[in-house]
Amino acid sequence: MSDGAFTLHGIYYDGRHPVGAQAELLFTGREAALTAADFSGRYYARRLLVSPRIGRADRFINLPDGGQFQCADHPFLASLPQESRSEGPVAWLEERWGVALAGVAVIAAILLSGYFYGLPAAAEHLAAKIPIETEQALGREALAWMDSNKWFRQTSLDKDRQKKIREGFEGLISNLPLRASYRLEFRDSHFTGPNAFALPGGSIVITDDMVKAAVSREEVLAVLAHEIGHVELHHTMRSVLQNSAVAVAVATVTADAASLSAAVAGLPALLAQTKYSREFEAEADDYAFRLLRQRNYPPAAFASLMERLEKKYEKGQHALDFISTHPSTAERVKRARASEPTR
Amino acid sequence: MDWKCPVCSSLNKDHLVRCACGHEMKADNRENNILPPASETHEKQDHPGPGQPGELALVFTGSGREYFRVWVVNLCLTLLTLGIFSAWAKVRKKRYFYSNTTLDGTPLQYLGEPVPILKGRVIAATAFMIYYLASHFFSSLMPFVLAAGTVLAPWVIVRSTAFNARYSAFRNMTFRFDGKYTGALKAIYAWGLIPAIVAGWIFNWYGKYPAAAVLFGVFGLTFPWWIRRLKNFIVGFTSYGNKRGEFSATGGQFFKVYFSAGLIFIAIIFVTSIAATATYAFLKNPQILFLFSMVPIYLGYVMAYAYVQAHSSNLVWNSTRLGPLRFASTLSACGLTKLYIANAVAIIASAGLLIPWAVMRTLKYRVDNLRVLQEGGLTAFQGSETSAVQAAGAEMGDFFNMDLSL
Repeated sequence: MSDGAFTLHGIYYDGRHPVGAQAELLFTGREAALTAADFSGRYYARRLLVSPRIGRADRFINLPDGGQFQCADHPFLASLPQESRSEGPVAWLEERWGVALAGVAVIAAILLSGYFYGLPAAAEHLAAKIPIETEQALGREALAWMDSNKWFRQTSLDKDRQKKIREGFEGLISNLPLRASYRLEFRDSHFTGPNAFALPGGSIVITDDMVKAAVSREEVLAVLAHEIGHVELHHTMRSVLQNSAVAVAVATVTADAASLSAAVAGLPALLAQTKYSREFEAEADDYAFRLLRQRNYPPAAFASLMERLEKKYEKGQHALDFISTHPSTAERVKRARASEPTR
Repeated sequence: MDWKCPVCSSLNKDHLVRCACGHEMKADNRENNILPPASETHEKQDHPGPGQPGELALVFTGSGREYFRVWVVNLCLTLLTLGIFSAWAKVRKKRYFYSNTTLDGTPLQYLGEPVPILKGRVIAATAFMIYYLASHFFSSLMPFVLAAGTVLAPWVIVRSTAFNARYSAFRNMTFRFDGKYTGALKAIYAWGLIPAIVAGWIFNWYGKYPAAAVLFGVFGLTFPWWIRRLKNFIVGFTSYGNKRGEFSATGGQFFKVYFSAGLIFIAIIFVTSIAATATYAFLKNPQILFLFSMVPIYLGYVMAYAYVQAHSSNLVWNSTRLGPLRFASTLSACGLTKLYIANAVAIIASAGLLIPWAVMRTLKYRVDNLRVLQEGGLTAFQGSETSAVQAAGAEMGDFFNMDLSL
């Protein structure tokens, strides 16, 4: 090695047949000389191209005449021209346990902070920038689609009752920022039962069963106030943004494992998304309680309706609370009663 | 075990007899198909000689510990660059898988480059966004999206298969896929079933004429024949050297695989529902029973899935010929089921940290169950100017050269 000569031992492939020949590549100065069973060649060392390092796997050296020389990884190869500049530093990182452990910490920090703070904040910011007209177009299209696919029937509530509820609803939205965008829709649905939901842009649908389950107008208005909360806080848009981001993040992390088992990839996304959904519901509840108090309605009406619905429809599902899209009824009732103005 | 070279102290793999610096570890000669050094003999030894049956050793040498570091570093960089690095990460990971799969002592080589992969990913992400928006919000646009997808699907199949073949190499010769758009169109849309189903969506036949749903039934029944045409197209247009793949599986064989998987699933649902009905009377809370019966049903689904994976994979390999090479795949539904369950449990229990370990295990299991049988010499494969590894790099800049596979 004193004169700068160095020999690599490996296998030569001519590219004509997948048959190798044991070979030597001798480096002297700027020259590389290949000697194999029935082939020899001389090249400029700077015209060779070495494949990137990966683990402890063999490396391949492309020769200018189309031949290839395969040999075990060796520090000497670092002095030759590399096929890929970007992969060298990555390979350097991949070899170090310290880097890997730091990497785990960074990944955990990114995922957790993004999940708890970054993503909700970014989604809120972005959703506020989407013009309400866009949201309205989406909402109208969605309702038209549900109607044309026979999700609902015409409401069977009498005109008088509808009118009373509408008047109360107008009172609730009277000076809200999005007041011009609201539309209250009555529908009859036999398979969703008592239900109310807000579509993006201000369309709020309430089912006949929900109106009938309420014993007073205050209770109906309490439900509508909750849906108004979803609209004012842009929850549909925020949840679309947050859920897509979660789906993309989970797919990125489990990309390798996705083919191993769908459950592995699906479960974390489901858990993450239902947590966001529960937060939106709690946010809409709080918004509703404030709105009701402002308009001199009792938030406790929300509590009494919730309790009645639970007694009638859902019995003992508490074991599944952590994958539920809504907070537990007991908790919502407690918060409603707690926000009742003290007299 | 790996060994450390006493002369230059670099680490060498178990299967290597000689360090790159020239120090020899074992005296015995290397693998088949490798000629001894010039000084020893000038005669070609193309073992096992033409006509003689033999086997090329296929070995997977990847390790969970080593791949863990590759995985963490690449995932971390992907997250830090908001996904842009994912194309580079894909190259590193595929390079690791290929480099650690040795056939007859020589590792496979992955030649894909990040930029065409990134290009493919940007296009795929845009297409997905359009689909997502159309399906959730702009349903009136959905017919156009579906029509465009139907027209583009054959192109996506051809491009992604061609990319994977072109940038996979063995012994300085790349694979090649020269299927064309019209070929893919014929393979996946022959009989017109899929276009008819898509047309059904576009013109809303299913709402108007419930009888149109028969299309799905027919497609479900003929699905095995559809899969056969697709595999036949892919294998038949893939070549190595000047040898094209030949595919001999029949649709009936695929049907048997899917039919058996269906029977397994139905049998498990049947047994579960009998057991559930029998215990129903003794339970106060029927919801718990529902939860408990989901477990065997999910298990049944995993088993049926593993059965399809194992047996269709076996069928494809065992019906494929490439020049003098045949393949013998011996995956079992039972083995794959155990593997999937152990992987899922390990991944969940470790909060994802064991994903690399699970990936290595799965690849090792697949490679261990694949044998490459040789009938005749490898000199039957003849490379050309365009098949050399160096030629592959030159096309990387082409606009349509992109990786659309996931």
